[in-house]
Amino acid sequence: MSPLPSMGSRSRRFDAPDKALGRERFAADEYPENLLWAGALRAGAPHGLVRGVDTARAEAMPGVVAVLTAGDVPGANRQGFIYWDMPVLCGDKVRHAGDPVALVVAETREILAEALLAIEPDIEPLPVVDGLDAALAPDAPRVHDLETGNVLKQATVRKGDARAALDRCDVVIEETFFTPQQAHCFLETENGTARMDAAGIIHMTVSTQSPFRDRYEVGQALGIPQERLHVIAPFLGGGFGGKDGVTVQCLLALAAMHAGGRPVKMWWSREESLLAGYKRHAARMRFRLGAGADGALRALVCDLDYDTGAYAHLGVEIMALGLEHASGPYRVETLEANGRCVYTNNPVAGAFRGFGVAQVSFAFEGMMDRLADRLGMDPLELRLQNAIRRGDRNGVGVAMTASTGMAECLAGLREHPLWRTRGAWVREAPPLTRRGVGVAAVLNGMGYGRGLADMAVAKVRLTVDGRFRIYNGVSDMGQGNSPTFVRMACHVLNQDESGMELVQPDTDRSHPSGSAAAGRTTYTYGKALIRACEAMRDKLLHRAAMALLVDDVADLELAPGAVRHPATGRALPLALLGSKLHPDDRCCVSEAMMPVTRDVPEGGEAFRLGFPHLIFPYAAHLARVEVDELTGRVAVADYVAFTDGGRVLDPQTYEQQVQGAVAQGLGYALWEDCAAEGGRLLATDLSTYVIPGAGDLPDIESHAVETVEESGPFGMKGIGEVGMNGPLPAVASALLRMGLPMTRAPFTPERILAALGGDDS
Amino acid sequence: MNVLFPATADAVLEALRAHPDARLMAGGTDLLVRRRAGAVAPGVLVCLERVADLNGVEVLGDAIRIGAATTLTAILENGAIRERLPLLRDAAGAFASPPVRNMATLGGNLCTASPAADTLPPLCVLGAEAEILSSSGTRRMPVADFVTGPGRTALEPGELLGSVTVPVPGGGTIQHFEKVGRRKAMAIAVVSLAALLRVEGGVIAEARLAWGSVGPTVVRCPEAEALLAGRAPTLETFRAAGESVRRAVRPIDDVRASAGYRRRVAANLLLRLAEKAGPAALG
Amino acid sequence: MILSFTLDGEPRTLDLDPGLRAVDVLREHCGVTAPKEGCGTGECGACAVLVDGEVRLSCLMLAAQLDGRTVTTARGLGGAGPHPVQEALADRGGVQCGFCTPGVAVTAAAFLERHPDPTRAEIRDALSGNLCRCTGYHKIVDAVEDAAERMRKERGGRK
Repeated sequence: MSPLPSMGSRSRRFDAPDKALGRERFAADEYPENLLWAGALRAGAPHGLVRGVDTARAEAMPGVVAVLTAGDVPGANRQGFIYWDMPVLCGDKVRHAGDPVALVVAETREILAEALLAIEPDIEPLPVVDGLDAALAPDAPRVHDLETGNVLKQATVRKGDARAALDRCDVVIEETFFTPQQAHCFLETENGTARMDAAGIIHMTVSTQSPFRDRYEVGQALGIPQERLHVIAPFLGGGFGGKDGVTVQCLLALAAMHAGGRPVKMWWSREESLLAGYKRHAARMRFRLGAGADGALRALVCDLDYDTGAYAHLGVEIMALGLEHASGPYRVETLEANGRCVYTNNPVAGAFRGFGVAQVSFAFEGMMDRLADRLGMDPLELRLQNAIRRGDRNGVGVAMTASTGMAECLAGLREHPLWRTRGAWVREAPPLTRRGVGVAAVLNGMGYGRGLADMAVAKVRLTVDGRFRIYNGVSDMGQGNSPTFVRMACHVLNQDESGMELVQPDTDRSHPSGSAAAGRTTYTYGKALIRACEAMRDKLLHRAAMALLVDDVADLELAPGAVRHPATGRALPLALLGSKLHPDDRCCVSEAMMPVTRDVPEGGEAFRLGFPHLIFPYAAHLARVEVDELTGRVAVADYVAFTDGGRVLDPQTYEQQVQGAVAQGLGYALWEDCAAEGGRLLATDLSTYVIPGAGDLPDIESHAVETVEESGPFGMKGIGEVGMNGPLPAVASALLRMGLPMTRAPFTPERILAALGGDDS
Repeated sequence: MNVLFPATADAVLEALRAHPDARLMAGGTDLLVRRRAGAVAPGVLVCLERVADLNGVEVLGDAIRIGAATTLTAILENGAIRERLPLLRDAAGAFASPPVRNMATLGGNLCTASPAADTLPPLCVLGAEAEILSSSGTRRMPVADFVTGPGRTALEPGELLGSVTVPVPGGGTIQHFEKVGRRKAMAIAVVSLAALLRVEGGVIAEARLAWGSVGPTVVRCPEAEALLAGRAPTLETFRAAGESVRRAVRPIDDVRASAGYRRRVAANLLLRLAEKAGPAALG
Repeated sequence: MILSFTLDGEPRTLDLDPGLRAVDVLREHCGVTAPKEGCGTGECGACAVLVDGEVRLSCLMLAAQLDGRTVTTARGLGGAGPHPVQEALADRGGVQCGFCTPGVAVTAAAFLERHPDPTRAEIRDALSGNLCRCTGYHKIVDAVEDAAERMRKERGGRK
C-alpha cells in the first residue's frame, strides 16, 4: 500500500473527481418528482409605496397553484437576523428595485413566467435615494423610518488623540477613495427546493453558507418553530459571502406551505441574482495620514461611509471591520476612525469575501504609496519599516499576540526577481505602452470576532461496515474545507481516503457549527474535528483491546481498515469492530471555539458583535501592470502573492484560495461595478456585469510564509479572505508609479484614458 | 413553437412563403438571448443549421465566397481566409468565445445588424458583396449597404441572405483589425476599427477605414482616408487624421462606455497603424 | 415533437415541446445534471456539451436541435471512466466549487482533440468562454496542459 499523504503535502481534493465528472449534486441539480416552480415578482421601482398588488389575472391562470402577497406571510415578515428590517414580501413599501412584492407557485416555469407578468403592482414612486450623497443630504427622503435619517449606525474608534497628533506631523497626506458595489457572481445562482411533509415539517435543500442560522431566520420571519425546519446544504456552486444569510429560503418555505405537500423549486436567474442578490458595500473613504520625516506613522484620521443599500444585512458588522482594519497591517501611534453605515435605495449590500476590509485596503495602501512618494522612499521599504510585528498593538489598540507574518511576507517580495528587476522591466515598455510595478500589504481578521462565539461541533462516526463518516457542519462553497476535513481525519485516524465518507451540512444529521465565513471554516471546525477523531481513535483502541486480549491500549495502533497489535501482528478489522459496536458507541462529537482578545478598543463598545479580532492572516502582493495609451486598457502581466496563513495543510488547496481571491480582487480592481442610475442597475446580466475570463488574468504565483499559529489546527489560519484585499491596491500602486493616481475603482479604460489626459495619445 | 429544419436554400424560401411570420435562426446566439428577455416570441422558427448550400467557404479566383450559415469557427479555421483575409480572420478571432463561435454564423452577425457587429467593419473595408436569395431570383449589393441601421437590413420579406463574397486585397497592404471591449473574450465592442492601407514607395496610396460601435452602423470617414493618402504612415500622419475621425463618428453613451471615450479611442486606434507600419514609423 | 438523440452513449426518445431549451431537456427531462446553467445567455459556458463532437452551449439551443444528434456531457465524456482532462482537473487543483467544471471539461477535451500540444496562451483562449469564479484559471490551465501530456502519452502508447 502506498504511504498515506502527510499533512502539508500536495494531494488531490476528495471532492474533485465527482465534480469533474459532473456527478456531484448541487442544490440546483434537485428536480424532485411532481415538482412545482416558485418565483418572485420584483418591484422594478427602487423606492415607492405599495398601493396594492392585483393578482387576479395571475390567480385565474391554469397551472397557477398560488399567488401570495405580504398579507399571506405568517410571522414577522422580517428577515435579516440582526436588524430584522427586510420583508419577505413587501406590503407597504419597496426600498430597492429587487424587492419582492408577490410570490407565485406554478406547475411549470413557463406558466410561472407568464403569471409573474400578469401581476400588476401599484407602486407610488418616492424620491430615490441613489447613493451616499443623496442619503446624507439634509431633508433626504428616508429609506427606513429611523430617527437618525438614513444613518443606520455611526461609530468612532480611537487610539490616542489622532487629530492633535496629525497637527504635529512632518507630512500629512489627504485623499478620498471610492469603491463600487461588487457582485459575487458565483456560477450557481441562489436556489433551493422545499417540501412540507404531512407532519408540517419543511425540508429544504438550499445553496446556503449558513444552514443552521437559516432555520432561525426563516423561523422568525415566517413564525415557524425551528424544529419544523430542516435544511440541507450540499456543496455550493460558489458563495463568497453572497449566500451567508437567507436568499431564497423564506420565499421557498412560504411557497412550500402553499404547495399541498408537493416539492417546490426556486432558482433565481442570473438577471434576478444581480438584481436581488447581496452585493459588496460601495464605500467612500476619506483618509488623512500623518508621518514623521523618517516615515514612521504617527496619526491616521479617517471617515468611512458604507452604502448598505436598502437593508442592513451585515452592514454594521462590515463597517466595524472597516474601522478595525483602517490602519492596515501597520503600527500607527494614534487613530481616529469614524464610520457610518447608510441606507440607500441601491441593491442590498451584505457579506462578501474581504468583509469591509477589501474597501479600506485600497485606501490605506493608497496612502502608503502617496506617503512613499512624498518622502522619496521606496514603497516596499516604507511598508516593511511600519509593518506590524508580533507583540505590537494594532491600529485599534489590540495586542498582536498571535502569529504575525506581515514583515516576512514583505521580505519575501523584496527578494523576488520581479521586484528586483522592476526598473528594467518598466524601461523596456513597448511603444504606446506604460508599465509599472506595484505592491500591497494587507491583512484580514479571522473568525467572527468578539461577541459571537466562533464555535463548531464536529461529529465522526464509525459505520457498521468499518468506514469513517465525517458530518461536516460548515458549508463547503468550493473553498475546500470539507476535503481538508477528510485529510485531517485520515491523518488522526491513520486511514486512507477509501475508508472515508463525507456528509455535507444537514440540520438533522450534523451539528450547528456556524456559517462558512470569515476564514473560519477550516480553523474552527477543524479544531473540533481533530478532537472528535482523537476521541474516536481512543475509543476504538479501547474497544479493540478487549477483542484482541491486550492489556494496554498503548500497545495498539489504528491502521488503515483495522486496529493492529504490532507486537503480535494480530489485527481487528474495523468492519468487524463496526458490526459489533452499538450505534451510539460508534459516534464521537467534539467542539472547539476560536479564542478572542480581551482588549477593548476605545469606541469598540458600539459594536455588540464581531469586533475586534485576535488572529490575522497577512499577505504581500506584487502586480506588474501595463497600460495601453491608446485605449486606457490595463493589463496585469504578472502577479505574485506571499501569504501568511500559518502552517500550510495542503499547498494545492492553499494556492487555490490565493489564486481565486486574487482573481476576484483583480475583477474588483479592473472590471466589476454594479453601477446603478437612480437606483436601477445598469449591469443586468453577465454581458454587462463583467467578470474576468481566462484570457484576462495572468498566472498567479503563490508563496506561503509559514508562521505557526499555535492555536490553530495543525498550526493553520484561514486565508479565504485576505487574498481578496491585495489586488486593488497593488494595481493602484503600479498605476500611481506610472503617473496615474487613481482614487476610484474599478480602473476602467475610460477612467485610465481620462487620467492619461490630453485629447489623443 | 414550431421549428423547421429545411435542408436547402430553396426549402428555406419555401418555408418563408408558407409561414410569412416565421423567423430565421442561424446560430441562435442572439435570437435565443432575445427570446429569453421576452423581446421576441416566434411561433415558427426556420432553423438554418442543416442547410448544406448556405454553409461553406469557397475560393473564387480573387475573391472568397462564404455561405451565410458558415460558423465563425469555420471562418477562423479556414486556411484561405487565414492567408488571404487576415482582417476577417482577426475579427472572427475576436468574436465572442470559442463555444459561441461554434454556433454563431457570418450571416447571423450581419442580419442581427448590431452597431457592434464584429465582422461588419472588415467586410466594409474589403468591399464585400452580399448575395440575397428570393423565390424571384438573386440580387447583390455591397455589405455596407446591406445593413441599414441598428437591427435593420435591406432584406425584404421572403428574402434570405445567401452568401458574402469578399475580394482578396492585393499585396503591399497594411491590414489591421482591433476591437476594444470590456474584456478579451465575450465582449461586445466598445469601439472597433478595420483598416486597409495600400502603401506604395513608403507612402499611403489608398486608405480604407471603418469603425464599429461608434454610430448606428459602420462608420466610414472619407475625410480621414483622403488625409492619409499620399503621406507616410507615421504617428504624425495618423495623429493628424484624428480630428476628422472625432467629427465623423456618432457614438452614444451606454453601460459599456461613454460617447466621449468612444470618440477619442476611435481616433487613437489609427495610431496603431504606425506600429504596424514598422518601428521607423513610430519615430 | 418526438426527439431522438444519443445522450452519453444511450439512445433517448422523448416527446417534448421543440421550443424548450436543450439545457432543460438534458437536466430536467433526461436527469443528466452535468451541464449546469450559470447565466442562460451564453456568457459563462457552464452548460457546454458536445454535439456531434463539437462544443455547443445548451442554454442557447432548442430541444428540436437535439434531434438526430449525439450529445456528450461531462458525465459521459470519458466513456466508462474519467476523460484525461477530468483526471487532470481533479489532480491538478482545477476543481473548486465544481459548478463550472463540467463545462470546462468538455470544452477542454474538444480543444485538445484539435490542438494536442497547446501553449498556455492557447489554452486560455480556448477556455475564454468558460467563466470560473473560484480558481483564477491558473490551475485549470495547468490541468489542461497536464491532460495534453497524458493524451499524448496515451496515443504514443497505442502505437
